[in-house]
Amino acid sequence: MKVTFPHLGSMHIFCKAIAETAGIPYIVPPETSRKTLTLGVLHSNESICLPFKIILGNFIEALQMGADTIVMVGSGPPCRLGLYDLVQKVILEDMGLHYRWLTIPPRLTWQAIWKNHEETKELRKELSARNILLFPYGLWMGWKKMKACEALEQLAMKVRPLEIKRGETQKRLKKALSWVDEAKTRRTLEETIQKGKAFLQEMEQDRSRIPFKVAIVGELYTVMDPHINRGVEQKLGELGVEVTRTSWFSTHILRSLRKNKADQTSERIRFFEASKAYLGYDVGAECNVSVGEAILRSKEGYDGVVHLMPFACMPETTASGILTKVGKDWDIPILTLILDEQEIEGRIQTLLEAFVEMLEWKRRAA
Amino acid sequence: MEEKGRLGIPRALMFYRYFPFWHTFFKRLGWKVMVSDGVRQKEKIVYFEDSCLPMKLLVTHAMQLKEKVDHLFIPRLVSIHRTYIMCPKFRGAPDIVRLAMAGGVSVIDETIDLRKGGISLLHSFLRIGERLGASRQESKKAFREAEQSFSQFQKGWTDRINRLPTRQLFETDIPTPHTKISPPLAGGDEGEGGPHRFYSPPPSPSPIKGGGKEIGAPLRVAFIGHPYNLFDIDINKDLPALTKSLGMEIITSDFLSEQEIDREVSDLSKEIYWSSGREIVGSLFHFLSGGVDGVVFLTSFKCGIDALLQEFIKRRLKVRGGSSIPLLILSLDEHTGREGLTTRLEAFRDVVEERKKMSNVKARTK
Repeated sequence: MKVTFPHLGSMHIFCKAIAETAGIPYIVPPETSRKTLTLGVLHSNESICLPFKIILGNFIEALQMGADTIVMVGSGPPCRLGLYDLVQKVILEDMGLHYRWLTIPPRLTWQAIWKNHEETKELRKELSARNILLFPYGLWMGWKKMKACEALEQLAMKVRPLEIKRGETQKRLKKALSWVDEAKTRRTLEETIQKGKAFLQEMEQDRSRIPFKVAIVGELYTVMDPHINRGVEQKLGELGVEVTRTSWFSTHILRSLRKNKADQTSERIRFFEASKAYLGYDVGAECNVSVGEAILRSKEGYDGVVHLMPFACMPETTASGILTKVGKDWDIPILTLILDEQEIEGRIQTLLEAFVEMLEWKRRAA
Repeated sequence: MEEKGRLGIPRALMFYRYFPFWHTFFKRLGWKVMVSDGVRQKEKIVYFEDSCLPMKLLVTHAMQLKEKVDHLFIPRLVSIHRTYIMCPKFRGAPDIVRLAMAGGVSVIDETIDLRKGGISLLHSFLRIGERLGASRQESKKAFREAEQSFSQFQKGWTDRINRLPTRQLFETDIPTPHTKISPPLAGGDEGEGGPHRFYSPPPSPSPIKGGGKEIGAPLRVAFIGHPYNLFDIDINKDLPALTKSLGMEIITSDFLSEQEIDREVSDLSKEIYWSSGREIVGSLFHFLSGGVDGVVFLTSFKCGIDALLQEFIKRRLKVRGGSSIPLLILSLDEHTGREGLTTRLEAFRDVVEERKKMSNVKARTK
């Protein structure tokens, strides 16, 4: 058995940690590249959302490398994400690739646990007692690594607009993340987090700068994966913008575990409440949160909002329509970037530069 | 009963299924029901959000009615089935329309969510009645009558589709022509040179011939898709009329009982949670396994549900060894030209006809 999982942002780091700690053989798909996307595009159609294509591309590449068991996070209605597995399974079958599929349930219900039990029946036979015993420790390690990655990324978002040598933060972040990835035990992990944080902090910085504050909102995969959004976070940071986002893997995992009282989730409840002025119902996925966050960020004195969505995303299309109005009503610049497979990295750069320039004018006028 | 005022229903989205119901309900409560006209020219479409064409048409139709009515009826259709849900865009539709119109008219956006149980539809309509100042008793009575007239309407649906011009399908005061279905005359049921006559039928509509002998039955073609794609002539450029003029008879998924659809989709690895998507996949598999001579699947460009399920259907058919019944998939948007559709439909008719001839010859030689 060789387990594989999507590459999504830093998700591969902690998925790998779980497998590694529990001693389960795994294959990390190669880093998402043009080839990954091309594979995904080739085996889907134009109106299917970009995350679908990239995840499919990851799976194809991993299966070709010898993986045989796919682990995929599930999701529920009303968005299309919940049916990714249904369609991707048929596509892989049609391509003649052999695989076994394991969906991690989006919500912990009895049905989900039962289904999971059914799916894992075969798989468990291949696991040794050691694997099963170590699995909880693996989960714990994965969670710790995920939190570590997120802490480092958050720190990078803070220091990036202050960097003197352009691109330095990204280089250091990559290195720090790879340290986290390599840490094998609890102790070394703690050490690498401290080391990574210090490594980012001690970078040459111009502390006299007052960076713009911009919130990134939108569909979660597009927000979380720099391969899908073509590094919007990094690009904005390097243009002198301090970026914030509230969509992290831990947020969504906590949400699905119904830990609503955790800090980040309650923030999301706040956003949801704020969206009620414009939306009379929960549209699904991140739609209401995107709208609400834009409203509240404007109240909190943010300079702008960048809204990310894949082309033809159903909930976010509704959000983008409403956000144009929100931008006018609350006097906050909102840039919606619709992402698909086209090579638009250059265009995104230009759009972001223009956006930041606009923020500069706005600041000067104030 | 004296008239209480004017109530507008945009000729868009689920109008194309539930209008007879809505119409009777509001008429019984003493409201004059106003329905928007067609859009006809694509220049008139209001582009408030970058959504699928049916959604853009909803906004356009609502704008048309804005000045003429006291209330606009745009229900928030969350679910029209006890287990399955609608596309997420429907949940935000009333909000989008309200923002696009920038106030000025009251929008009745009562939530309809049948997942809550059997009588929740009645409750929704009681609340609607309340908003319109009707007593519970009145609303209840109107609701019962609406139910009756709706089931009456559904009974004559086959005849209506094949005997009436597409534009008149939902004009409830035009009675259903009760004739036994015979091969429709080529273009015969298209009003004489009406304003919507884009297409002139071919000079000699060839009677279907098989090996020198005429085949009695006309070609039966199943039209599958969201109801608005099937019957909105602004979306499909009056494809039904075109089909009829080419000597084909239309049947739709309305013919299938829920059980039949369930049977087709019961073995999927995951439940399709959109009621429309389920209906589409179920009826496509049903018709592709027999009973008709051809299947036409109409989709809107950018429709998330269709895009994903289309890929699923194609792949599954391929994996299962295909179907001998010709399938035509037409993707529609505001740029779709009638000429292109004509060419494709004519070619499709030829394929269907040829196949029928072949199978007839085979049947005779056996």
